[in-house]
Amino acid sequence: MRASRSLYRLLLRLCPADLRHEFGAEMEEMFAAALSRAHGAAKVGVWLRAIVDVLRHGIGARRDAWDRFSKTSAYVEYRTGGWWMDTLRYDLRHALRAMSRQRATSAIIILTLALAIGANTAVFSAVHTVLIRPLPFTQPDSLVMLWEKREAEGNFKNSVSAADYLDWARMATSFTAMAAHTEVTADLTGEGEPEKLPAAAVSSPFFDVFGVRPSRGRVFQSGDDTIGRNRVVILTHGLWQQRFGGDPAAVGKTTTLNGIPYQIIGVLPQSAVFPYSDVQMFVPLVLSAPDQPPSRTSHNFAVFARLKSGVSFEQARSEMDRIGKDLERTYPTLSRGHGATATKLTEEVTGPVERTLIVLMAAVAFILLIACINVTNLLLAKAAGRRREMAVRAAIGAARMRLFRQVLVECGVMALGGGAAGLILAVWAVSVLAAQLPAVARPDQGVIFSAPVLAFTIGACLFTALIAGALPAWHLVREDPAEPLKEGGRSPVSLKRRLRFGLIIAEVALTSLLLVGAGLTLRSFQSVLSQPAGIETNNRLTFRLGLPGARYQGPESAARFYSELEARLSAEPLITAAGGTMLPPLTGMDGRRGVVIENREVGPGDGPTRAHPRVVTANYLKAIGARIRDGRAFLPSDAETSVMVAIVNETMAKRYWPGQSPLGKRVRFTDQEAWREVVGVIGDVKHWGLDAAVNPELYVPNSQFPTFALTWVLSTNGDPLALVPIAQRHVRELDSNLPLFQVRIMEEVAAQSVERRKWTMMLLAVFAVLAMVMAAAGIYGVMSHLVALRTPEIGVRLTLGAKPIAVMRQVLGEGAVQTVVGLVIGLGASLVLMGGLRSILFGIEPTDPMTLLAVAASLLAVALIAVLVPAVKAMRVDPVTALRQ
Amino acid sequence: MAQDRDRVDRFLPLKPFVLDVLLELAEEKRHGWSLIRAIQQRDAGDRILPANFYRTLRALREDGLIEEAKNDSNGEGGERRQYFSLTPLGAKVARAEVRRLEALVVDPRARKLLRAR
Repeated sequence: MRASRSLYRLLLRLCPADLRHEFGAEMEEMFAAALSRAHGAAKVGVWLRAIVDVLRHGIGARRDAWDRFSKTSAYVEYRTGGWWMDTLRYDLRHALRAMSRQRATSAIIILTLALAIGANTAVFSAVHTVLIRPLPFTQPDSLVMLWEKREAEGNFKNSVSAADYLDWARMATSFTAMAAHTEVTADLTGEGEPEKLPAAAVSSPFFDVFGVRPSRGRVFQSGDDTIGRNRVVILTHGLWQQRFGGDPAAVGKTTTLNGIPYQIIGVLPQSAVFPYSDVQMFVPLVLSAPDQPPSRTSHNFAVFARLKSGVSFEQARSEMDRIGKDLERTYPTLSRGHGATATKLTEEVTGPVERTLIVLMAAVAFILLIACINVTNLLLAKAAGRRREMAVRAAIGAARMRLFRQVLVECGVMALGGGAAGLILAVWAVSVLAAQLPAVARPDQGVIFSAPVLAFTIGACLFTALIAGALPAWHLVREDPAEPLKEGGRSPVSLKRRLRFGLIIAEVALTSLLLVGAGLTLRSFQSVLSQPAGIETNNRLTFRLGLPGARYQGPESAARFYSELEARLSAEPLITAAGGTMLPPLTGMDGRRGVVIENREVGPGDGPTRAHPRVVTANYLKAIGARIRDGRAFLPSDAETSVMVAIVNETMAKRYWPGQSPLGKRVRFTDQEAWREVVGVIGDVKHWGLDAAVNPELYVPNSQFPTFALTWVLSTNGDPLALVPIAQRHVRELDSNLPLFQVRIMEEVAAQSVERRKWTMMLLAVFAVLAMVMAAAGIYGVMSHLVALRTPEIGVRLTLGAKPIAVMRQVLGEGAVQTVVGLVIGLGASLVLMGGLRSILFGIEPTDPMTLLAVAASLLAVALIAVLVPAVKAMRVDPVTALRQ
Repeated sequence: MAQDRDRVDRFLPLKPFVLDVLLELAEEKRHGWSLIRAIQQRDAGDRILPANFYRTLRALREDGLIEEAKNDSNGEGGERRQYFSLTPLGAKVARAEVRRLEALVVDPRARKLLRAR
């Protein structure tokens, strides 16, 4: 009911604003009451009446005010409009009559258009919400993101180090403000249930960058980010409402985060949103301390900035480029190969789905064209039967223009009917899409229906009417009225035949393009799925634990907690292996550090030596099912006090110890003194997703590199969810105040990493099947109509001794020739156009011959089946009946 | 202009539905919903559609046949609905339309038609 109401409200937008404001609510009530009284199919009736009512009177009401000054009034029974409106009304009535005479054809046309317009509207509303609508920030176009650029490594957007950020902020002149941002989690305790909440640590200019003013209190100012003054927090409106009941006195109060008291200094307005975050609160980002200068080696920050007015994006980017080069000269060891660059925030936010959405939009546009062709075909068939009518009307003096318009109006009525049905279809499709659309960084998510979308739909209807109707209309009108009258209005026109073959060719070409697109994404998806993840995902449960620093003094106590937990979980009979990792695979959680390889010469052309650290517990590699290629896994005996050890992945082994075994070699992190001995090599594990490249990874045991937050993986032989209570019990026994969060089964994590590809593939497949069905229907329609027109001719030939099988072969051959010509054009075009798909394909070329071959074969098969029916009909023509016609 | 606005025959003949609205308002002032209910009760089953209804209501008001009325009487639960009442011009128009219909019905030809049944 709620969906119906919002749809009706949308419909009411056709009414003039004053009428809507004054009576809209009552009209909606009235409609809702009528709808609730109706059941089953009667609801459709209510909807149809409501649509006609609003179309007629809602739009009509716009003219009332104007009419009042002329001599007629809106509700006098008989009124005389202008001649134009009068004839339009006549045309409308005529169109409705004509449609009701040929119900089947009209229904097919409306259904075809409904599918095409519905698909277009649905995809367009996604495009509009994600790409076209401006981002919900103050002057979004002047927002940029700044990155570290490492050309040698092919990495153009690397996270930024604290020292680099501080240097950039000091040196750059293109920006009004520049801020660093990183996501953290915070245990909020005191006043109510303890909660683990997403938070952001930001440098003080952050709110200036986004142009956000607090609704209460203040935002950060310089000085808040120094040790000793940094125990302050800003709440989002949501958290303030939910946790503090919207109490104005909350500002100034103290709350407890991770066991440490923080003062609440401000509350953000409800409208404040930020990219990449659904965070609930903000704390100051402390980048340095008296005993700890800002790090240049650990790269953890996203940097946002706002362009000064008058400074173009290009100017800012070239300034960053210059600054990067300066810093490289200043810090030749630490910053070698590190440039700096800028990207537009808009592109960062919408970029990842932009190409996908454009491809989908192109796909549905093709579908609309195919639908137009089908409708044109049907109308031409219809028109053939109406040549006589048109000829008579032209002969008795109807103006050509009027006849032309009449056909177009008829087409327009059907397009609007199809559009209305399509809109209902689209509302449903959008609700499905919205649930499926992979997360975009846009903070104002959710695909919505809006006025521009409605305008698009209406535009699509008019476009359809014009494209589909123009040809048949012109055809009917241009003919010499004497001809059909002489012939009795039956014999086919040769030009029309050629034209209709042309339409089949166009239809096949468009369909083959769609099929190739769908086929390529399908093959690419298969090739992604066939990628080895390097781990096992079945029968595994994962959850995350974060030890609050306030209660676990020192890393050693955290390490003790985790090794105790691992021992307890491993002893459970249901659990085959249990282990924890700082950064779980397939999730995109990552970090990177500089490393030093003992006895390795670093040439001047080499980039910096780095690896992605993976802190894991002793049994983790077994729990996740990673494969040991050489050496050994970690053991419980790799303790804090024993020899420092590490395990590398194959990529790291090949890159840093090419041609030799890394076992026994030593490696250390740049910012740590201790050397670690490599004791094992494991097979590559896909960290960013199945389709992502693998980087050098350095595994170290948690006992020798204690971490507070670990993601746990438990493997079992049965249902992984059965392990949840067991894990909960053990965690509770060790620490009654520690929540398990992000509890998921590993298969779900893996599925999520291929979500967007799956989604694109499914949609394209649906569209391709739709196109194929439409094309088949179109080919069938044209061929059977041509056979019907030629029945007398076939009759003559059969009488003169032609073999029925020859007749059939001829029809079949004609259909096959058109299809092949269409295929050649379509596949040729796909070689050119599919290059646009390259960026969303994986492990497959856009010109993949297998795909092209499969498309050609399947389309040809479908086309032949569609032609077979009329061909058989032609063969079975009874000469006697045919001649009598 | 004012003269022209007040000319009664300018509004005739009325649509039956418009006459219905005027007749109801001649009885007492009403808001939109109660008007619909009253009309539906008399002409059982006749469908009134929202846009048509409120468009007509607005047009009647703009032409001065009805006007907004204060809701001082037993408002249903104190809702903030818009009440309407008939203006003198509206009453005149309704009367003229009823007379026109009456004249039609008392026409001897109409009488004859009715008798033939």
